[in-house]
Amino acid sequence: MIKEAKNPVLEIHDLTVTYHKKPVLWDIDLTIPAGSLTGIIGPNGAGKSTLIKTIMGLIKPSSGYSKIFDKPLDEVRKRVSYVPQRGSVDWDFPASVFDVVLMGRYSDAGMFKRIRKADRELAMDALQKVGMEKFSKRQISELSGGQQQRVFLARALAQHADLYFMDEPFAGVDAATENAIIDLLHEMTGKGKTVVVVHHDLQSAIKYFEWILLLNTRLVASGPVTEVFTSELLQKTYGGKLTLLTEIGNLLQREGLPARETK
Amino acid sequence: MNAFWIITTGSLVAITCSLLGCYLILRKMAMIGDAISHAVLPGIVIAFLYTGQRDSMVMLFAAALTGVFTTLLIELIHKKGKLQTDASIGVTFTLLFAIGIIMISVFAGQVDLDQDCVLYGEIAYVPFDVWLLDSGINLGPRAIWVLGGVLLIIIAFISLGYKPLYATTFDPGFAFTIGISIPLWHYLLMSLVSITTVASFEIVGAILVIAFLVVPPATAYLLTDDFKKMLMISSGIGILTAGSGYYLAVALNGSIAGAMAVMAGIFFTLAFFFSPSHGLLFKKLRKKRALLQGHEEGATTI
Ligand SMILES: Nc1ncnc2c1ncn2[C@@H]1O[C@H](COP(=O)(O)OP(=O)(O)OP(=O)(O)O)[C@@H](O)[C@H]1O
Ligand SMILES: [Mg+2]
Repeated sequence: MIKEAKNPVLEIHDLTVTYHKKPVLWDIDLTIPAGSLTGIIGPNGAGKSTLIKTIMGLIKPSSGYSKIFDKPLDEVRKRVSYVPQRGSVDWDFPASVFDVVLMGRYSDAGMFKRIRKADRELAMDALQKVGMEKFSKRQISELSGGQQQRVFLARALAQHADLYFMDEPFAGVDAATENAIIDLLHEMTGKGKTVVVVHHDLQSAIKYFEWILLLNTRLVASGPVTEVFTSELLQKTYGGKLTLLTEIGNLLQREGLPARETK
Repeated sequence: MNAFWIITTGSLVAITCSLLGCYLILRKMAMIGDAISHAVLPGIVIAFLYTGQRDSMVMLFAAALTGVFTTLLIELIHKKGKLQTDASIGVTFTLLFAIGIIMISVFAGQVDLDQDCVLYGEIAYVPFDVWLLDSGINLGPRAIWVLGGVLLIIIAFISLGYKPLYATTFDPGFAFTIGISIPLWHYLLMSLVSITTVASFEIVGAILVIAFLVVPPATAYLLTDDFKKMLMISSGIGILTAGSGYYLAVALNGSIAGAMAVMAGIFFTLAFFFSPSHGLLFKKLRKKRALLQGHEEGATTI
């Protein structure tokens, strides 16, 4: 079930990605509507991170292409921001929380210009949004895993982009913070920004997202959450794992969503 | 006056190397300085055979090219051969250095270079090699001009390229997504390491160059959590090292470069034990205090 978005910010055409000749993404065609909070959902190894990395130009596809705001990525880099699944940085680097978030201002401020006061304020703002302003002077290794994740989120927020890709931003983040950040993301999409989030928890996915991609090497579905979250499509995505499907069945019942919507 | 020139020369080398070294150790490439300082030897010999001069811009340029070539070769072996970076560095620089040594011995009659000079240099001669203008004006030691020029280039490079250098060092993935070219900054940095290494090692010797590239930055790393401060502290330690090393050498009547390297090691050892943030001593004290505090808090809440 692949639905065309009316006003797409992102389109992907015939995208295939292989690692060592083994396909990881197979012939993906999709669109994502502007101003949506979109969830990418699928089992481990489904290619979710690979999809985002390919869109961000970090991995070269074997075939196909993607367009953002109807342009190739290189022309619109400033408007796109990416939070990787696991910050693969050296945590012992002499950098404070604030230093990291300030990097989010680098491209707007101009790569060879001085950082202005306004940039510092925007960085501090972003820190506040993830509830980390008290830690601004901390060295980054002196943070918990969830706090580290929030710092990288703040760096992305500081970029003031129009399209965000966040790869499991809530991994290790506590429930209160997750709710606060989801509210924040909704506020951003309300202002016309688009946020694409890789997410594992099916239960909260129903509440969070307007648009959903179900991915397992192939694109199983792409469309509004109410049309995509059917047990049939979920079963297809997760390959009919028994316990999981029972869980989803219960879930769909509780949420009162149509388990098998017929269009 | 000689003491002044020697300490100034040592300080110029120390600051230049320390600044670059801060980037190198954080990029886990501390030993690339070692590799480049040895691997440029064949490049220097070739340039020397062509121009017949020792201290020409051509030689610096040839060395920089060889340096970049060395880093390319290291990357190639690492990527295509799937060999770890440190092993690729080892393979590359020993091979190139050996080729350089063979060239020197083959062209011994024509080449006024010897291994000892390359490895150990002779900073004590710096004051005597002065730059005299045709009109007879004495502009001071030539080394000061060369090293001063290199230092200015490095400072300009670091202040102009601060953001891209910081981003590519700390988080190359992020740097890429905001459109910074990772190879561009890598090779710019490597060219400057090559130029610095070559400009310095003839004067102070390769071993002191390596010491300055690694030890003051490592010391500063132990003393601060702020990268800008790390740059400044390592330069400061570099100057202290050059100064104290000179007087140690005078006191012992020994090698100046050797004494400077020893002082660098002594400062590192001091930081290792007594650094307020990372030192072993304060870490222990802090742990003890935290434990005591924990006990007190525990006592009051109960
Ligand atoms: N660098 C790599 N080299 C080879 N294979 C890889 C590489 N990275 C990922 N893969 C493979 O590609 C497939 C997709 O990986 P990807 O990281 O995109 O999955 P994912 O959907 O993000 O999974 P997760 O939920 O665990 O994050 C996996 O089968 C993985 O083994
Ligand atoms: Mg992933």
